[in-house]
Amino acid sequence: MAEKAASDNKQSSRRAANQQGFFLRGNIRGEWRPFYVCPVWLYLQRWDIDRDDGGSPMAISYTTAPVPVRADIQAAHAQIWHKLAEPGTWWTGAERIAIAAEVRKAYTCQFCKTRKAALSPAAVEGKHATAGVLPDVVVEMIHQITTDPGRLNKQWFDRLVSRGLQETHYIETLGVLVRTISIDTFCRGIGLPLHPLPSPVVGNPSQVRPAEAQDDEAWVSMFPPELTTGLAADLYGGRQASPVLRALSLVPDEVRLSIFTLLPAQYMDPFRVRDPDCDPGRAINRAQIELLAARVSVLNQCFY
Amino acid sequence: MLRASSQTQQLTDKLDLSAVVDPAKDSGVVHGALLIRFAEAVLSNDDTALNMTRTQMLENLGPEALVDAAGVVATFMQMVRIADATGIAVVGMMLEKSSDFRTELGLNDFGSAQNTFGTSG
Repeated sequence: MAEKAASDNKQSSRRAANQQGFFLRGNIRGEWRPFYVCPVWLYLQRWDIDRDDGGSPMAISYTTAPVPVRADIQAAHAQIWHKLAEPGTWWTGAERIAIAAEVRKAYTCQFCKTRKAALSPAAVEGKHATAGVLPDVVVEMIHQITTDPGRLNKQWFDRLVSRGLQETHYIETLGVLVRTISIDTFCRGIGLPLHPLPSPVVGNPSQVRPAEAQDDEAWVSMFPPELTTGLAADLYGGRQASPVLRALSLVPDEVRLSIFTLLPAQYMDPFRVRDPDCDPGRAINRAQIELLAARVSVLNQCFY
Repeated sequence: MLRASSQTQQLTDKLDLSAVVDPAKDSGVVHGALLIRFAEAVLSNDDTALNMTRTQMLENLGPEALVDAAGVVATFMQMVRIADATGIAVVGMMLEKSSDFRTELGLNDFGSAQNTFGTSG
């Protein structure tokens, strides 16, 4: 069964890669940069999508998974892992990788465990087990959200802001954080070790803040619900989006990756979630899907 | 959506929403108890329990279902954090339609409920 799974995953990986096109890293004018390659070219080359040499932007593989992983999941995860390494809107590629690494530090942070067990997280003093790369305020953000999201509150968020964390950087950190947790959780669920983090791609963040975002709905600025034109049309196709689909919209690429890349592969079309008749055609039915979703939400004490 | 999707699949008479807060209850969803155990095991640090539950998932539901279930659990580990780390509120129809079971299941007592109701944190 393991050999068949490996073979199935390899075939799915190649189909998914060639359907989407892929990036390679090459030495262009003396600098290692990603460049896009034509899918047809991939068939002519010995492109080993399972390559895991620690130096490739595509350091993600399901060929050793104990079960076959759907091609759309493989493609979504590969895209997300590749984007993780690239410069974002506000953080460099190296900083984004550091955020993902800090998420993994949080999983075993003793201070986080002590704080989670306490009646009030604010009552516990101590230091996080950190990789030591990111500013303390970002480390605190990552560890608290990773380990105890149910007790986040506005006062906690305001303290981060008072310590200098800008909401733009907060949202991009949140996007990287949640996707790292999601893919790590998936690996744990199917019995696969965590993927190695990719190597960062050199480059500068774009630093483009959408003018459409407003700050009157939640803790962070986001696109208003009635906005269906301009950049909102690009993101949401002219449809009104629920708060959770707009929560990351201050950094549109975070919406593209967390919502529109990950959800269709792992869950369902984000715009059909509220249609109870919609069944995404998985091996588990809609009621089973929603039971899982509800239990995970309760375990994380998530009211929304 | 659990209640709504169960109505569509004609489970209304058997559905017990309280199973999402009390796993000892029978949700009425086929293989519901196993799916709940799987979600709990993935979120726990108990690798033994996870390995056992994963085996049960493969035996009872098959490898595709295991992948689908892992995907859903992974998705909601993302979505709960997006919601709770941005302070978004439940609004409109979703708030109205959920008022009965929110009270019944004690969901209004969650700390993140303050993002909707505005109580102090």
